[in-house]
Parts: sequence; structure tokens; C-alpha cells
Amino acid sequence: MTVSTPPATTVRLNRLERIWKESPGVLGWLTTVDHKRIGILYFFTSLFFFGAGGVEALAIRTQLIGPNQSTLSPATFNEMMSTHGTTMIFFFVVPMSLGAFGNYLIPLMIGARDMAFPRLNALSFWIYLCAGSFLYVGVFTGNAPSAGWFDYVPLASKTYSPGPGIDFYALSLLFVGISTTLGAINAIVTIFKLRAPGMSLNRMPLFCFAFLAVSFALIFALPALSTALVLLELERLLGFHFFIPASGGDPILWQNLFWIFGHPEVYIIILPAFGIATSIIPTFVRRKMVAFPLVALAEILVAFLGFGVWAHHMFAVGLASATAIYFAAASLVIVIPSGIQLFAWITTIVTGTPRFKTPFLWIIGFIVLFIMGGLSGVTFAAIPFDQQTTDTYYVVAHFHYVIFGAAVFPLLGGMYYWFPKVTGRMYYERWGKVSFWLTFIGTNVTFFPMHILGLDGMPRRNYTYGPEMGWTGLNLIETLGAYLLALGLLSVFVNLAVSLFRGEKAGNDPWEGDTLEWSTTSPPPAYNYAVIPKVSSPYAMWDKEDREEDARNLELGRKTLEQGHETPASTAVDADWDEVLEMPSHSAWPPLVALAMTGVFAMVLLQQWLAAAVFVGILALTVAGFHLKEPEEA
Amino acid sequence: MLAVAGVVFLGAVAMLVVGWVRRDRPGLPFFGENEKLNTGLVVLFGMAIPIVILVALFVVSDLVLLNETDAPAASSTAMTITVIGHQWFWQVRYEGEDAETANEVHIPVRTPINLVVRSADVIHSFWVPELNRKIDTIPGQANSIELYAERAGVYRGQCSEFCGLQHAHMAFRVYAEPRPRFEAWLANIRKPAREPTTPLARQGQRAFMRDGCAACHTIAGTEAEGTIGPNLTHLATRQTLAADTIPNTPEDLFRWIQNPQSIKPGVKMPGLGLGPERFHAIVAYLMGLK
Amino acid sequence: MSSVPRSMEAAGPGPVKAVDRQRQAQASGWWGAALLIATEVTLFACLIATYFYLRFKTSEWPLGGIEKPSVTLPLVFTGMLVATCVPMFLSVKAAKGGAVRAAWSLLLLATVVQATYLGLQIHLMVDDLHSFSPQANAYGSIYYALITTHHAHVAVGLAIDAWLLWKLARGITNYRLIALRVAAFYWYFVSVTAIAVVLTQLYPSL
Repeated sequence: MTVSTPPATTVRLNRLERIWKESPGVLGWLTTVDHKRIGILYFFTSLFFFGAGGVEALAIRTQLIGPNQSTLSPATFNEMMSTHGTTMIFFFVVPMSLGAFGNYLIPLMIGARDMAFPRLNALSFWIYLCAGSFLYVGVFTGNAPSAGWFDYVPLASKTYSPGPGIDFYALSLLFVGISTTLGAINAIVTIFKLRAPGMSLNRMPLFCFAFLAVSFALIFALPALSTALVLLELERLLGFHFFIPASGGDPILWQNLFWIFGHPEVYIIILPAFGIATSIIPTFVRRKMVAFPLVALAEILVAFLGFGVWAHHMFAVGLASATAIYFAAASLVIVIPSGIQLFAWITTIVTGTPRFKTPFLWIIGFIVLFIMGGLSGVTFAAIPFDQQTTDTYYVVAHFHYVIFGAAVFPLLGGMYYWFPKVTGRMYYERWGKVSFWLTFIGTNVTFFPMHILGLDGMPRRNYTYGPEMGWTGLNLIETLGAYLLALGLLSVFVNLAVSLFRGEKAGNDPWEGDTLEWSTTSPPPAYNYAVIPKVSSPYAMWDKEDREEDARNLELGRKTLEQGHETPASTAVDADWDEVLEMPSHSAWPPLVALAMTGVFAMVLLQQWLAAAVFVGILALTVAGFHLKEPEEA
Repeated sequence: MLAVAGVVFLGAVAMLVVGWVRRDRPGLPFFGENEKLNTGLVVLFGMAIPIVILVALFVVSDLVLLNETDAPAASSTAMTITVIGHQWFWQVRYEGEDAETANEVHIPVRTPINLVVRSADVIHSFWVPELNRKIDTIPGQANSIELYAERAGVYRGQCSEFCGLQHAHMAFRVYAEPRPRFEAWLANIRKPAREPTTPLARQGQRAFMRDGCAACHTIAGTEAEGTIGPNLTHLATRQTLAADTIPNTPEDLFRWIQNPQSIKPGVKMPGLGLGPERFHAIVAYLMGLK
Repeated sequence: MSSVPRSMEAAGPGPVKAVDRQRQAQASGWWGAALLIATEVTLFACLIATYFYLRFKTSEWPLGGIEKPSVTLPLVFTGMLVATCVPMFLSVKAAKGGAVRAAWSLLLLATVVQATYLGLQIHLMVDDLHSFSPQANAYGSIYYALITTHHAHVAVGLAIDAWLLWKLARGITNYRLIALRVAAFYWYFVSVTAIAVVLTQLYPSL
């Protein structure tokens, strides 16, 4: 029996459609400021870089399939391992988490119609695309960086890496850092100010707490990297001295600055995954998260404590004992908030009634892999043990368990989970499960033996090894595992791609989900919500009376904000309704600013200083253009 | 640590299995639905028990064991050996002995040695898995650790900080020997190089000095005083070449000097293109440097 | 609900003042600027930390026989810059109260002094360059890296000032008031970092 929509409601919905209509065609996508479209742009761009990083990984594993192989020359191997790490961390995992998942879902989860700064959002994407392309121009012109993803000096200095590879590395990371910073600012302001009135902080989904924590971590971590990169380029391109001992510099300065960024970065990588897990678990176990306040606090603590531990990456450089001991102790402290979250998740699963559908399987896999990665991580706080295992395959095993197992598995699970919401179609469940098992088994076959190889003394970043070392068998297994893993990932994306065209239509809420995005259509309309939702708890969809009140409001035209391109702004903690904000619609300025920025970075790389100054001027003009039209004129 | 990790891991997996087995029944086994207890369990397993384990781990490894990996006090060691990392070989100097070699460290067994590490170019890391913790070699800085071998034998070490193209082929050996044998070895390498005894070897010496090798290598007591490549004064006493990449035999030495890039692509030693006859002579000379 | 303002429509002194009074939380634009400023503060903290890291690696400082910096002029100029916080503050106050002309004049006054400050500082820096270069050693490198980063921030601030002077001459809107508050906040940040930078710069002579 169909419920006929009252005419007043239809009129309202039509008006909202008209007001929020996205421009069609390629030009529409180029000038979009809609967070959902930007999320999709981020999604496909970061998938491309995932593929690139994956090809690099398979190249590495193929070279290491047996002793003394010559599939890759040492130079190419070093480039592959450097670009693999750099691509995966900076151009895949963070943009996919923040840019794709964060952008698409945060406004939906908080009952808003867009992010706080829609044009800035678009700008973040275009800068990211330009920065990633910038790096890969280097890769494809034979100028890939080859000093590793953490690029230690003096190896990365002009003397020992004379070509432009390191400049491509440093400048593309500075470039993408701008994108990530703007994205973090956008997320924080959105989460603090654009929550639906009534969604006080304690009624905000845990997903948003995770993204709030990540964004704050980025604000304070990225400048350390930017400083290091700027100092490096000043030294490489203009002959400054920061890292050269003979002129008063110190190579360890690089390591300190890099890891002051680098350690928070790994928590930045994993926190969005925690957020995704805390969204999927309640839905599939059909109960609220155990110890919600503890979990929210733990998510924030992980981001905060991550700033105090960086020198545990430097236990072999000859630190004073007292220094090393402090950092080991601090590193152990972080285990606590991670442990709290883990046991909250596990207890929620045990005390709920889980349905083991594909998205949930990925989360179970995540929990198992995160525990393993976390345990190997804890062992590094035992300094003498670290001083044996650092720079071996034991480390490679650890971080792949936590980055691939614990950060990427939830991303894959999240892709399955929100696929119906974003596309309006359902994926093929059986293939979903198969893709999970292939990937899970492949992951373990590839990375588990690395613990053993590391304990057996195989150093990392070696382009080959001798047959007499006894490492042949495990390397072969790992390479076969990598191919299996690649097959698993391929099956994920083939499943999603085929389902996109042939999957069954999904309704608004195929999972009986807990958060607000399940209340709107699949895919959501451009304006997300016709009525600004009423919120009484973090599990808005399970508060039936609130959703019924929304339906009544829609009929009566209350809280529909249909006078323009509008969304409400509230106070930061209690979400009292403060003002109505006018949102921009399309704008050509974001891609133009990004292009101008690309010009600046390209001219710096080429050391054409006058041209770079000209591009800075052009950049200033495009930024002025960005601000020319004030909101009420938009 | 492995045992504790194993217990934690299996415990967590067991709980997940319980979740699967009891997937149609909400609440805890035995205790049913009890939010306070749930939260208590999170605090117990997520906070309390980890704190105990972590404190124990910290005390044992970082307060008790760590002392043993510190730089040794000057008075506690019998001699100082300086190892200088280069792209891609190890320079080994016996301080106060006027003795230098490359890619091999000989030490008397059961004797604490003050091992000082430095770098001539980029960051390397000196690591003999069976004997010592890793210690990075950093330009502008001298790091030191205690090197000590309980048992006599040959121990393999390798560079453990990515240092460029041939990082994978930058290994070395530590020979822990009974004192008399060590003293004999040291006495030998203190001596300048032996003169060549055959016409071929003499030809090789001339070629070595004039055709480019002397620009990079030192052979003590001759006009070869180059410091870019390893010291070759007693090359014939070593068991391996090219930082433990190939064995030290006439055939391998010939291959190495004729075409270094075929064995270690990117290595700084150029192929001098001197022709097989001259290379054979050089090999004959070098094999006499005992 | 009808009492919640559509704040972006406010134009003219009266409506802007009313919207500003009614708003309980800080505007989004202010929040965004605050976070951006947080990243820049962290950047300066890293640069200053680098300065002292390099300093404590050595016994001789400045390195290479470079003369210690002279103290008077940099401190006087910094005082000049910090003093512009007053007209900036008053400008915001005037704009909030609807006195747009006064706000504009105070902003102009601040801008002129800030621009003079930048000119004088660049003059001092060119003088320094005659005695030692950034390529001389680590001291020279971090010295110039630190002060040019600061100067770049001042230059950006002047660009913001110029923009605002142009916009405010056309009247006030909600958007422009928020922009003026952001500009003032930005200059407070630049002033505080100017103090930190000059103290670091002059550290060998203090």
C-alpha cells in the first residue's frame, strides 16, 4: 500500500530540489561545491592512487619473490618502495578517509545540508588532485623520489640525491598538505557549528568524534612536516644549511621534525577507521555501543597522546637513555585508549546479536588485525627489543597490520556499508563475503611471515637478498600472498562496479542503521534533508518519535529552511540554534586557485624564481576572485 | 612477550567467537544484559589489565635491560675500534694501533670492546644481530656501543638504515677469536703491504698505481693513498669482497674489478676498462697482499 | 525559529550590529581563521624550536664569526607592530557599533604603520645580507628562514588589510564584519609571533 504524499510536501520538496539543483555535465562537476559530489571525486581519485600504490607494491614483491632477482634494478626498486609508501599514506589513505568518507558522511550524520565551507571543500579536492598529479609527473618522467617515504637526510640532500626526485617528493607533500589542512579546518568547523539544533556534543555519533579528533591532530601535526620539507628544499635548491654537520646543521633535526609529524600521522591514518567501525558495529549487532563516553574520550586521547611519542622511531640514533625511556613510557600509555576502544567494540559485539553481513565481516577482520598490529607495536616500547627489530621486516609487518589491516579494512567495510546509501543499489552479498575472505587471507599470508623474517634479521628496503640467508621460502610465500591480496581487492571493486549497474534497488535504510544518513533517500537529494532533523541521542534513527516528528514538520513546513540555499548553524557544545547560513552553490574559483598553486609549485621545482613569483601573483588574484562575491550575492 | 601477546590475541579472538556463537542472544554469557557490567569489563580489559602488563614490560625492558645497551663507560672496555660507514662499505680502524681494514672486524673473544661508529656520507646502521643492538652511523656524530662476543666464531652484520642503491649489499663480518690469534691478526695488519713476488704481480702493482686504482684506495707503504674506497693493504686475508657480497677468490675478484656494476649496480667503483690481461695482473698483485 | 537570523543577509550598520549582538557562538569564518592561525603558530613554534635545536648543538653561536645582532632597532620596530593591535581592536569595536567610517579610518592607520614596519624590517634584513648570507652556515640559514617567514606573514596581512579597506569603503555587511574581526585576530597572532621571533632573532645579544 503506498502512502500518498500530501501536495504541500510535494511542493516543498520540489522547491528544495530547484534551489539545490546541481549543474549538469562536466562543467557541473568541475564547479561543484556539494559535499557529496566532492566526496565522490575524492573517492575515485584516491582509488586511482590506491591502484598506483598497489602496482608499486606488487613490483616490490615480485622483485623479492626469490633471491638475487633482477626484475627491478636497485634504482627502480628504491623508487618503487619510496613511491609506494608516499602514495599510500599521503595520496590514498588520508584523502579516502577524510576526503571521501568524511566529506560525504559528516554533514549527513549531523543533520546539515553541506560542510561549513563548501567552496573550500572543493578547493581541497582540486589541490589534492593537482598535488598527486604533480608527484606522478615526477614518477612518469623518471624522476621518482628514492629515499624512502621518510626521506632521511643526508641521503635525501642534494649531494646524495642530485636529481629532482626528492624535490617532487617534498613539493608534492607541501602541496597536498595545504589540501589536508583546509579539509581538517572544514571538518572541525562543520562538526562544531553545523550540527542540527539539539544535537549537543553528547548526542553526536562516534564517527564524528573520531573525525573531530583526526582533524585536530592534523592541524598540529602538518606544520612540523611542512617545516621539515621547507627546510629541506631551502637546503636543496638555495644552498641553505640545516642538516649538514660541517656547516652547523644536524641530520637528526630532520628526523625529529619528521617524526613529530609522522607519529601523529599514523593515528591520523587509523582514527577515521575507528570512526567507521563505531558506525558499523551498532547497526549490525543491533545495540548501542558499550561505554559510549569512554569510547569518545578514547578517540580524542589517542589523537592527543600521539604527539608525545615521536622519538620511538629513533631509538637507534644514539639518544640519551633518559630520553629514550621517556618516549618508551609515553608510547605505552597510548595502548590504554586503544585497549578501551577494542574492548568496548568486542563487548558490544558479544552482548549484541550480530548479523555477519559483509560490512561487519570487514570490521571483525579489522579487530583481529588491529590486535595483532597493536601487539607488535607494543613490543617496540621495549627499547632493547626495538633496537634489534627496527629497520627489519618486523617493522614492515607491524605497520602493514595496523595500516592495511586496521585502517584499510574499515574503509573497505565502509564502502560496502554505505554503497546502498550512495548509489541507491545493493551489492552482491555472497561475492562481498568472498572478497572479504580472499583479502583477509591474502593479508595474513603476505604480512604475517614478515614478523618471522624480521626476527631472523632481514632488513627492510633491501632490493634483494642472497640465497644463503634462508629467507627465500618466506619471501616466496609473501609474494604469493600479495597476489592473493591483490585478487581480493580486485574482487571488492569488481563487485562494487558491477553492483553499481546491476544491483537491486536499495531503499533508504537497508541495514536498519543507527545514524541520520539512513533517514534520507538513497542516494540523498542534493539538499540532504528536507526537514532539519530532531535529535535526542547519537542513535538518531532508532529514536522513532523524533523521525515521526520530522515527518510532521515536513508537512507543516517547519524547520525546512526553503527560502534559499540554507543550513542552520548552532552553538558548539549544546547546539542551540544560532543563525541560518546561506551556502554557496557552484563556483569556478576552486579549480582556478588550485591551478595557480600548481604553477607556483612547478616553477619552484624548475627553479624558475621569477616565474614562481608571477604565479604567486596570479594565485593572489584567484584567491581575491574566490572572495569577490559575498554570500548574500551568491 | 610472545607468550603474553599470544594470550591477549587468543583471548580477544575467543571473545569474538563467543559473539558469533551467541549471535542470537543479547547480553553477556551467564550475566545477561547488564550495562554496568559491560562498562566494567571494558575498564578491566581495556585499562586495568593493560596497565599492569605495560608497567611490567616497561620495568623489565626499559629500566632493567636497557642499561646493557648503553654506550660503555671508557674504563670498562679493553680497546676502541672505530667503524666508519661509507656508501657501501665499512671502514674499520683500530685506534691507537695504526691498523686499518675494511668490511671485517676482528675482536678478541670475551673482551668488552668500545665500538665507535661514524659516517663518511649518509646515515648507515651497524648491526650484528647475534651480538649487538643497532646503532646508527650519523655524519657529524660519534655513537658508541659495547661490542662483546661470548663465544668465538664468525658473526654476520649488515647495514640497517637505508643508504641508497646498494644498501642491500653492505654487510660485514665480526670475527671473535681467542686472544693469541687476534693479536697475530692485528700484528699482521699493522704491517705495510707485502711487495709483489712474481712478474705478473709486479705488473699488477704498476697497473694499480698508474691506471686509476690508487686514486681511491689505500695500500699502506705504497704510493696508493686514496680514501674513497676501502683499504686494501691486506685484501688477501679477507674471506669476502665488496662488503660481504661475493667470496674472495681470484675468479670473483677478477669479475668484480672488471665490471663492478654487474655485481653491485650503482657502486662508486668505475669499470676502468683496462682489458683482461691487465686485470689478471692486478688480481695477482692483490691476491699477494696477505 | 523565526527569531533565528539569516545573518548573511545583514547589510548596513544597523542590521549588522543586530546580527552580531544576537549571535551566541563565533561565526564559522572566525573559527576557520582561528584554526588556520593555529597551524601557523605551530609552524613558528617548529621554526623557533629548530633555531634552538641548532643553537644547542654547538658551543659557538652565532657560527662562523658572524656578529651578534644589534638589539635596539628590531625591538623598536616590533613595538611599532604590536602597537597596531590597538587601532585594529578599536576598528572592530567601531564596526560592531555601526561606526563604519571610524572603523575604516582606524584600519587605514593600522595598515600604514604595519606597512612601514615591513619596509623598515626589510631594510634591516638587506643590511644584514651585506654582512652574512643564509648560505654561510646553519646560523645564517635559520636566522633568515625565521625572519622571512615572519615577513611573509606580515605581507599577507597587508594584502588582507588592502582587501578590507576596499570592501569597507563600500559599506558594511555581516560578511565584512566577520572579515574585519578575522583580520584583527590575524594581526594579534602576527604581533605575538613577532615578539617570539624577534626575541629568538636577538637571543645571542640578550
